[in-house]
Amino acid sequence: MTHEDIMERLTEVFREVFDDDSININNRTTANDIEEWDSLEHINLIEAVEKEFSMRFQMREVSGMKDVGEMADIIAERAGSGTKKKKGFFKK
Amino acid sequence: MAFSSLFFMFLFLPVCIGVYFLANSKYRNAILIVFSLIFYAWGDPIYIWLLLLVSCLNYLFGKMITYGNGGAPKFGLVLGLVVNIGLLVSVKYTGFLVENINSLFNADFAVPKFHLPLGLSFFTFRAISYLVDCHWGKIKAERSLSTFLLYMTLFPITTQGPIVRYETIALQLHSRNTTVVDFSEGLGRIVIGLAKKVLIADQLGTIVDQFLSSGGLENQSVLGAWYGVIMYALQIYFDFSGYSDMAIGMGRIFGFKFDENFRYPFVCKDVTEFWQRWHISLGTFFRDYVLYMPIFGKRRKFGGLFLVWICTGLWHGASWNFLIWGLYYGIFLAIEMMIGKKIMKKIPMAVRHIYNKLVIAVGFCIFYFTDLSEMGTCLKSMFFMGSGSFTDPLLASSFKSNFILIIAAIIGCFPIFANIKKKMLLVKDKNTYMVVQSFGTLLLVALLVLSGIFLVNATNRPFLYLQF
Repeated sequence: MTHEDIMERLTEVFREVFDDDSININNRTTANDIEEWDSLEHINLIEAVEKEFSMRFQMREVSGMKDVGEMADIIAERAGSGTKKKKGFFKK
Repeated sequence: MAFSSLFFMFLFLPVCIGVYFLANSKYRNAILIVFSLIFYAWGDPIYIWLLLLVSCLNYLFGKMITYGNGGAPKFGLVLGLVVNIGLLVSVKYTGFLVENINSLFNADFAVPKFHLPLGLSFFTFRAISYLVDCHWGKIKAERSLSTFLLYMTLFPITTQGPIVRYETIALQLHSRNTTVVDFSEGLGRIVIGLAKKVLIADQLGTIVDQFLSSGGLENQSVLGAWYGVIMYALQIYFDFSGYSDMAIGMGRIFGFKFDENFRYPFVCKDVTEFWQRWHISLGTFFRDYVLYMPIFGKRRKFGGLFLVWICTGLWHGASWNFLIWGLYYGIFLAIEMMIGKKIMKKIPMAVRHIYNKLVIAVGFCIFYFTDLSEMGTCLKSMFFMGSGSFTDPLLASSFKSNFILIIAAIIGCFPIFANIKKKMLLVKDKNTYMVVQSFGTLLLVALLVLSGIFLVNATNRPFLYLQF
């Protein structure tokens, strides 16, 4: 899965979650760029992204992601690799 | 000593600022630590040792997490969390637990009585955020003990927040400078905060006592109960946001930039938004360190939300009403989440405002009464189920004699002045700019003088959030 593939699928997820077909995301996109993106919508977004790519984010990543690019990097690193890391608060 | 005492405002703070700016910049951290310790010891001469001990321990835990080898980082984190959370829970909740066990099992265990260390809930939370951020690699542990001590004891934020993250002020802890603009805006913020507390919150407090105190509650009229609860909502807003203004203002004078803690919460369009504008530093703490805790598996969306609200409730105190209050808000947030923004947006704005103000007012009623039966009485009165009439003469006379205060409070809840100032400062004309600036300064001086007069005449009311 290339970075472009991920961004394409992510765009769909974002449009779905924020219910806005005009959303276009890039690596630099942050919560400030999308009006609807607040801490509660973030829960929905994370859930939708995890479902789309069948992976789980770690707690550190959820609160630490700076922009969409970082999100895509985490997805690329984890999605489809088949190894399901055990998630935990104490996992680094 | 309270920020809103004459001693603090007209002696402690000016002396501290004077010494700070006269000193060579390499001594400034030390000066701030000394003044912070005096400030803390003034209010709590016993537990200052606890604050120092907790600071030193967290300094060590942080170093273990960032610089330790092998199992040391994980050990440091676990031990650090156990120490901080353990301390908070054992001191704050033991009495509550024992009381409930006693009444549940008809037992008679001695209820331990100690007073809460000043600012415990705030400084343990700052320590927890520091350790977890070290663990997540967001920050590197502070190498200098004195710098870390400054972070833990800094007097503007130690006793009542905001819960400033180490990450936010890490650079400023090491080196910072105060520009003339910082200094004058900082002073302005302090005066505004003081005025909010002394001129508005404390005066509203007298009304609240009158209408919600246990004596007159039984036969309280419907409007009287609503009036009392709404005055309480305004009181706590002006009290706590006034305190935060003062903390942020002092920070700026010393060259620190703390994040805002309130953004006009009452302009919110729904309950969710209220919490994004109210006590922001606590909300973001729970969002970052609790909401996504991976203990709910697939149900983490609502599981996390409820955990956050149980914690928010309990954080405010060991009492059933706070737990109920937390769950109450959790339920409304969950409902709003299930409805979704799409549908929420289609609801007419007037309806949304009526809905959220009602929820918030009832929320403050739950928050006010630690005694559940009194809470029940008040809620009954509010919803036409009490024994009182619809309205009463006391309410009319109170409203009449406090009319200016209430209008001022309502205006102060909305960003009217801030917007006017912003617009005026956009004007390019130099003369207009000067007039606006001088008018603002005059207003601040007037507020300061007025607050001083009120302080001389009044008995001091402590800030409400000091108890949490």
